[in-house]
Amino acid sequence: MAQVPVQTIHRDPQLFYWILFPITIVMILTGILRHYATVLMSSAPKPLDLRSTREQRSLLHGISLRSNFHALSRRSFHTRRDVVITAYESGAYLKDPDRKGQPPANPMTDPSSMDGMMGMMKNQMAMIIPNTLIMSWINAFFSGYVIMKLPFPLTIKFKSMLQAGVGTKDMDPRWMSSISWYFLCMFGLQSVFNFLLGNDNAASQMAQQMGQMGPQAPQMFGPGVDPNKQFLAEAENLAVIEHHSVLDGVEQRLLEGIRI
Amino acid sequence: MPSQQELDLQISPLVQESLAHNSRTLHNLQSLTASLFGISAGILGLESYSGFLFYLVFSLLTTALFYLLRIAPTALSSPASPTSKAGVLGRYFRSPLDFWTAGVTNGLAGFILTWTLFYGLVRA
Repeated sequence: MAQVPVQTIHRDPQLFYWILFPITIVMILTGILRHYATVLMSSAPKPLDLRSTREQRSLLHGISLRSNFHALSRRSFHTRRDVVITAYESGAYLKDPDRKGQPPANPMTDPSSMDGMMGMMKNQMAMIIPNTLIMSWINAFFSGYVIMKLPFPLTIKFKSMLQAGVGTKDMDPRWMSSISWYFLCMFGLQSVFNFLLGNDNAASQMAQQMGQMGPQAPQMFGPGVDPNKQFLAEAENLAVIEHHSVLDGVEQRLLEGIRI
Repeated sequence: MPSQQELDLQISPLVQESLAHNSRTLHNLQSLTASLFGISAGILGLESYSGFLFYLVFSLLTTALFYLLRIAPTALSSPASPTSKAGVLGRYFRSPLDFWTAGVTNGLAGFILTWTLFYGLVRA
């Protein structure tokens, strides 16, 4: 089989100045804008009233007792466990003990839970609006240009994705149009944002989408969660713990550690 | 009775926040160096396999240098306790496999971006 000659296309060097650099700069600037918009729009959590704070803290108390029981002596652990379980089961820490056993309030009507949803909505909007704007901007101004050649070969399947708007059938799929440079920027600029804005930035939408895909931690104190049920489950978790202490057999370990 | 591994963790606990901080530092270093490797690969005009090989070798070299310069000295000055089996890396990172391989995947997107950009600018 004859060697396929390498395709060369003579392009105007002005393409770089008028397409490549504008797209890159706009992508970086939108990332920075998105980061600062998220910072500005994030509302500080509202201070809770005394009773709901007590509800949350006492549940956290039970959880930390469960995960750190090995640091306590047996007697101390049992005393704590008895107190906590009795209080949990009687509902002493509940925000409003009268509503025990009733289904939780509809989160749509509860004003305090609307805040959380608004925050999520704002984040979603801050991601979606710039993306659609830039996509349509690139499509309107720069569609149909071939600007670059990828340094690695690709199969023919990528042609429709990389050369959207370029109607040349026999072109090597390595040639890429401006819209694929946009996608490449979207994936690869995370390291630039890391460098510019610090590590926990909100600039890259890709990272946020990855986070949403992953398994979400169950909501602790969200709307629509019955605190009484959480208390009862935690009481059950505490009740089944078989206590042992880190200090069990510490003499043995000490003697093993001493080398003469 | 608790398993031996559980007991080890309870006797010498690992702070999750510090582990996360360590891997974040490493992640920062790797994503920055990956972009720089992309620039050098683009200027050298590497294509296809040689470019990816270049990236693989140099990102592993970065991780190895990180290990030699940052982790090994502290390990020498304070040897691991006789009970822990996780070794030196287990004290600072989640797992040795994670430490050695995460860098390659972390920076790949940044590498491809700058590689393409500089390849296009230089060779065109």
